[in-house]
Amino acid sequence: MRPGFVLEVDERTPPLLVHRGDSFGLERFPLGSRVVYPPEALPGLPDVRAAITQALEHPLDSEPLRVLLRPGMRLTIAFDDISLPLPPMRTPDIRQQVIEQVLELAAAAGVDDVELVVANALHRRMTGPEIRRIVGDRVYRSFWPQALTNHDAEDRANLVHLGLTDEGEDVEINKRAGTSDLLVYVNVNLVSMDGGWKSTAIGLASYASLRHHHNTKTMRHSRSFMDHKASALHSSAWRMGRLLQEHVPVFQIETTLNNQAFPTSYAFLTKREWEWSPRDQAMFWTLKNGLDRAPGRLRRKALSDLVADYEVTSVQAGAVEPVHELTIANVHRQQLVEVGGQTDVLVFGLPYLCPYNVNSSVMNPVLAMCLGLGYFFNMYRGQPLVRKGGALILYHPVQNAFDQLHHPSYVDFFEEVLAESTDPAIIEERFEKQYATDPWYTHLYRTSHAYHGVHPFYMWYWGAHALEHLGDVVWVGGDRKAVQRMGFRSASTLGDALSMVSGSVGTSPTITYQHNPPHSIADVR
Amino acid sequence: MSSLARLARDFRWGHVPSVPATAPRREVVPAREMSTAWARTPLARGVRAVAQAGALAPLVRAEVRLQVTGAARLTALGDEAAVLVLNHTSHLDTAALLTALPPPMRSRTVVAAAADYFFTSWWKAAGTALVFGTVPIERRGGAPTDAPARLLAQGWNVVVYPEGSRSYDGWPTRFRPGAAALALTCGAPIVPVAVRGSYTAMPRGRSWPAPGRPRVSLVFGDPLRAAPGEQALAFAGRAQAEVARLLDEDETDWWSSLRRANSGEQPALQGPPTGSWRRTWASTRPVEPTSTGGPRVWT
Repeated sequence: MRPGFVLEVDERTPPLLVHRGDSFGLERFPLGSRVVYPPEALPGLPDVRAAITQALEHPLDSEPLRVLLRPGMRLTIAFDDISLPLPPMRTPDIRQQVIEQVLELAAAAGVDDVELVVANALHRRMTGPEIRRIVGDRVYRSFWPQALTNHDAEDRANLVHLGLTDEGEDVEINKRAGTSDLLVYVNVNLVSMDGGWKSTAIGLASYASLRHHHNTKTMRHSRSFMDHKASALHSSAWRMGRLLQEHVPVFQIETTLNNQAFPTSYAFLTKREWEWSPRDQAMFWTLKNGLDRAPGRLRRKALSDLVADYEVTSVQAGAVEPVHELTIANVHRQQLVEVGGQTDVLVFGLPYLCPYNVNSSVMNPVLAMCLGLGYFFNMYRGQPLVRKGGALILYHPVQNAFDQLHHPSYVDFFEEVLAESTDPAIIEERFEKQYATDPWYTHLYRTSHAYHGVHPFYMWYWGAHALEHLGDVVWVGGDRKAVQRMGFRSASTLGDALSMVSGSVGTSPTITYQHNPPHSIADVR
Repeated sequence: MSSLARLARDFRWGHVPSVPATAPRREVVPAREMSTAWARTPLARGVRAVAQAGALAPLVRAEVRLQVTGAARLTALGDEAAVLVLNHTSHLDTAALLTALPPPMRSRTVVAAAADYFFTSWWKAAGTALVFGTVPIERRGGAPTDAPARLLAQGWNVVVYPEGSRSYDGWPTRFRPGAAALALTCGAPIVPVAVRGSYTAMPRGRSWPAPGRPRVSLVFGDPLRAAPGEQALAFAGRAQAEVARLLDEDETDWWSSLRRANSGEQPALQGPPTGSWRRTWASTRPVEPTSTGGPRVWT
């Protein structure tokens, strides 16, 4: 496994792969541009089952799970929803493998009262087949639908208010989880933002609790939210988690994956371009031309059917905080790349998938903004990869299209709220409450498969730090009107984009392209 | 341009893909063992002898005024195969060396050539292997090939440029220990050779010597043998020092260069530590005034 590195583009550098939503292309970057490549995929654990057993038997700062289980107890197992990992991993999902072992121990201990909860917070409810894919057939058939449910953040009868943190934050979570004798959380840590107290204190929370950290102020002070020790979002979640722990013991099981983010037959998506074999080149050409010519629905289907050949690199269990420290070390082992200094212009190619459009018909403009200015911009440790006042160039078509089933409130947010203002603080103050309490959106969230009414606001706040930090944002290939609605500008080519941002960064800026995905975290020195 | 044609251009179809200079290597890179055994068959050797004697040497002598010194020192080798190391500033160096070598020695000499430069396409590889007797070596950290050692053991002289690449400003850079290690492995001597004037005649970027028949001088040194227990690094350092002395010898004379080498007055091999333009300025100084009026028949 070779570590990540920073390439300097020279005459020998071939054009580089850039994701462009439902397609991708090759781009020639100006000579001297830096390109951040993630480390190659770590080898997976040779025996995942044995690693899980080992973690459950020898947890960190906790009795073995076997000892914690007893007849007559209320056991709740919560797990991450469909937003992780991306793309979905080949079955058996790691959550299935962990949950099955937990249930085997529970069965052996004579625990009858077991319930499983999807920690989907304000995300859409997962469908039965989606849940079955994650937990496996045995678990699904044994518990669905009575004892295997989606968390409902609007079901007042099934929420419990556990109190206020030292900073006055409400801790209100899923009642079953909050009143159990033991809460076991099964996580997949794809990036360093995931896991820790965020799993339970956010994944199982209600709007009343989430609004304390999912807001403009907190997000602007999460620098970055991929670094939990420098993130106000995580600090809040940690305070809430510690309060939660006073009411219910939490046994955390965290897992990490390697960087094999695409099927091995699509190896060119994870390889370095100058090492592409003739087969990789043929695959690239065939897939690109096929996608570019296919109708939108077919293109979307072809991409959403991709499953990643992720391998599990670590499993750790026990008390939340020590477990999470080990998890983060394992994530960093796979994703951290040291980068010398900031850049004037940062470039990302945004792929077809983000955490909130899995199995959706399209990635809408608000989600594209969240992916670029939220997730990708925050893939740093220390200081942002782009300097204050610098420019961000993103490749994405930014189609003015929405999935009506999954994102109904996004349509109105885009048409009504963004037409009024794109300032996160203003829209939070003027519009959030109305959307968060809208009965129709709440109804769709609870009974259909819609994201909560307030969710598009959160997506916008996700980019608040970047919006404050950046001097310019230009979308290459983006729909002009959709991009303008969000307060950005659109360009046809990289050359045009660089010309457009020259007002803020000059005509010979330093350029850095973060080659993502597979993910890397820029450790900016 | 069609998307397929663009892909072919971008990924250099028909050529070995180029690798960015700052890219890390694969952990195990298979050596580019583009076979050159055919170029050492009797037929190919015959063709090469004719090409070198009948075309290459006259061409070199027509385009530059080649002055060879110290060829008699090579007689000390007898039939023993050696590693010839020389400073490298121009593609002209190989042509000049092969022209200067005594024909019996030239006929059993191969030139170690960068696999990533000369062996990136079949036509370039075949052409250089036939005319110059090149064999590919990895200079960028790939799996080392054993071809040079094998050939040395078989009695072939191997020409190695221990700097790894042509100089950018005409001044030699540090000698890497590969050539010395090769000689140590096979128990072969090193013949140091100094070339002066080829940077002026045909630096990087030129594909043909400058007009006016610039002078190029080539000085052979006495074969060097490794002292008992001597390591490759020290042996390479000794070869480098001898090349520096030979360059000084060419500029002054044998006795002066010896005295200057012993008194520490010998010019540094790597040139003066001055700004880049002054280094280039000094290294492009003509070896002697040359005519600009076309080939001179009587010199």
